[in-house]
Amino acid sequence: MLDAGISYVEYDGFLPSGAASLAPSIRWDHPRGRGFVSARGTYLRFESGNRSLDFSARGSFFMPLARRWRGELGAGVGASDYASIAHFSHGIVDARVHLMDQDRGGWFSTSVGRSSFGDGPRPVAVVAMGVWLLKNEASISASLDRSFVGDTAYSDLRSSARLQRGGIQLDGTLGARVFSNGAGHGVYGEASVLVPLGQGAAVIVAAGRYPTDVITGSIAGRYVSAGFRLGKLGFRPSRPAERPQAGIPPLSTGADGSVPPGETRLEVTNRGADEPVRLTLYAPDARAVEISGDFTDWQPVQLQRSATKRDAWEGAFRIAPGIHRINVRRDGGPWTAPAGTTRSADDFGGEVGVFLLP
Amino acid sequence: MMLTVLLLVTQVAVQDPRLERLDPETRSLVVSVVDSARAVGLPGEPLIQRALEGVTKGAQGPRIVAAVRRLATDLGTARSALGTRATTPELEAGVAALRAGAGPQVLTQLRDARRPPLTMALAVLADLVTSGVPVDSASAIVLAFAPTARDADLVEFRRAVERDISLGAPPGAAASVRALNTGIRGANDAAVPPGQPPRPPSRP
Repeated sequence: MLDAGISYVEYDGFLPSGAASLAPSIRWDHPRGRGFVSARGTYLRFESGNRSLDFSARGSFFMPLARRWRGELGAGVGASDYASIAHFSHGIVDARVHLMDQDRGGWFSTSVGRSSFGDGPRPVAVVAMGVWLLKNEASISASLDRSFVGDTAYSDLRSSARLQRGGIQLDGTLGARVFSNGAGHGVYGEASVLVPLGQGAAVIVAAGRYPTDVITGSIAGRYVSAGFRLGKLGFRPSRPAERPQAGIPPLSTGADGSVPPGETRLEVTNRGADEPVRLTLYAPDARAVEISGDFTDWQPVQLQRSATKRDAWEGAFRIAPGIHRINVRRDGGPWTAPAGTTRSADDFGGEVGVFLLP
Repeated sequence: MMLTVLLLVTQVAVQDPRLERLDPETRSLVVSVVDSARAVGLPGEPLIQRALEGVTKGAQGPRIVAAVRRLATDLGTARSALGTRATTPELEAGVAALRAGAGPQVLTQLRDARRPPLTMALAVLADLVTSGVPVDSASAIVLAFAPTARDADLVEFRRAVERDISLGAPPGAAASVRALNTGIRGANDAAVPPGQPPRPPSRP
């Protein structure tokens, strides 16, 4: 199957732009409904001349569990590239349990995987649940999910409806992103219509707004699109799903917290204006750790080994809000700037760590 | 009267026991710089701290004096850009931003765009640039944030960018992406001349 179309799209943070797209896709279904494999690629070219390439593939295997219960194991991978600037990839495995009746059902799923921007993989975890209902030529569904990608977390509440009559297919979705940390908030929705032109061809018109997808790296935007579908007809919203990956949403679990032998890492805990600030230095294999900074008048202060944290050394200090300079010395060695600070050249031929205290 | 004030100020500096860690010659020169700075309304504490840092790091006297003088000059530049009402933390953060590569006009724009205190905004600007974010992009982003963002938002933004960088994202892209995600328009444009307002958003 091949989708070809034009779009007018406005990604958040970008000016509106026209775009043309080509999107081949293929799908294989097991003859007895035990599973499927599908793949889709998209070439998108913007007015500016920039282009976006996107590829994704997914497979699922279904198995009976009990009388009305069905299990599903699936996996999906994807990669994209925008203007040779931003690259994104992800791999997800998921397990889903379906409770099915003739015209209604529900499901619960969990997914885990990795999502990468550049060289940095971030863990992905998603829990979701949903219900669906069939009524003559119409179907409606609703779902709720909670996604964690690095330290970005968000929930989507979605509903969708489909009406099919005389070969014409109408689809609509309405959703809201809530309880979001780093993935945006707000209401979104899309609508589309597919009109068959004859055997193996159709026109699709769609419009709407969709949210940032942190897992695949697409940024939120709104669009209007029109295009042709050639091949076996089935519906798929024709929004420019291959939006530019430049705005890859972000992530961040940060470093995994490990500290290489010989290195140190600073953690600052500020419990409030009246409380001393706790500095924790992680220094694997160290026998003694000292710090010195503008909050000690640059007098070396020996830290105490933590009773609860492995490889950690701690101290409490009165530190005013603002920007501060610090150095660390382990086992009487040279003064260094610990990880967890911004390392800068000092005025004395060495380096100093700078940290912010809100 | 002026002479009396100057003498009092000098005496305070001389009597600061922390400076006893300096050798007599270096101490004398450092005290002179500190006194001169205070005489024109600049804070002396950051200068004393810089001298103490040098002592702790075993620097030679001339190097300590040079560092203190350089800092005094930078504090003066920061105050010119931020105004005479700038606090000591603001001036210190301003110096960090200047040394990172931000122009004085960016500091002035920030002062005009944001209600004080500016410490966190300046520190975040310095931090972004030190982390590798191009100074033009960092300036555009912080200026775009300035009118409405809370200090906590700036800190969170900085933290997020830092983590993205630690995960392998190019610093400029990490900052732009985070800014876009926060709704800062124009942050995707990395070629804003220093001191100029952020450019409008570009086409994809």
